[in-house]
Amino acid sequence: MKSLFSQHIDLTARVMDFQLQRQNIVSANLANINTPGYKARHLEFEKDLQAALDLSETGAVARTHPRHLPAAFSPDSAEAGLRKELAPRVIQGLDNVDLDKEMAAMAKNNLLYSALTTVIQKDFNGLKQLIQDGGK
Amino acid sequence: MDFMTAIDVGASGLNAERTHLNVISMNLANAKTTRTVDGGPYRRKEAIFRETQVDSPFSRAMRTALDDEVKGVRVESIQNDRRPLKRVYEPGHPHADEEGYVSYPDINVVEEMTNMLSAMRAYEANVSTITTAKNMFTKALEIGR
Repeated sequence: MKSLFSQHIDLTARVMDFQLQRQNIVSANLANINTPGYKARHLEFEKDLQAALDLSETGAVARTHPRHLPAAFSPDSAEAGLRKELAPRVIQGLDNVDLDKEMAAMAKNNLLYSALTTVIQKDFNGLKQLIQDGGK
Repeated sequence: MDFMTAIDVGASGLNAERTHLNVISMNLANAKTTRTVDGGPYRRKEAIFRETQVDSPFSRAMRTALDDEVKGVRVESIQNDRRPLKRVYEPGHPHADEEGYVSYPDINVVEEMTNMLSAMRAYEANVSTITTAKNMFTKALEIGR
């Protein structure tokens, strides 16, 4: 459904949610760095997100060839969409807590999160400008 | 799942590591103690860590399966080390037994120092998770600006 706010704002917000969850998991891993028998956990959502983007919003048509038109953002399809289909996966016990790995994951997460905030901010600023200047 | 979860989990880590540091400093302070309240020489202590839930009963009722995976840490107990005592021949010592030996706790200063360093590093790691969560929070607030 077409609305004032474009769909990728929803998408960006969803990804920011996932990154917040990932930060929580990293935090739990680092808190338990000295706990004997603790298995590190990791959050995975990128693959599922990609798969969800390739689906049409009704969930029926898959994009099987790179030259097919992407159906994900067709404006006249029904609402619903990404939100429901996606559940991030928590993977347990690949290895014990690795301080360097967790720190890297955390820094990456932090930077991506900042970048996405900037994206959303720009979106809203663009809309605001459109509203203000369109009436002139 | 919210921002406070990361901060709560980080805080539980800070708390546990601080207790660990207290135990280490107790071991170092008592490295030569031959009498305790319970009688007998001091025994080396060890902090035992355990993962734990950090949330309140209300949020426990509201949480999702994913939030179950986010666990904090706490010090479950402080236990005596089971290594044998060190017997040193000091016949003049007031606590020497009839053969002239004094039992000292077997505390290795180098071992305690390395434990202290790793506790400090773990503490710093937890501080940096809290800082990161705070940064993310500040960034999210900037969206509305």
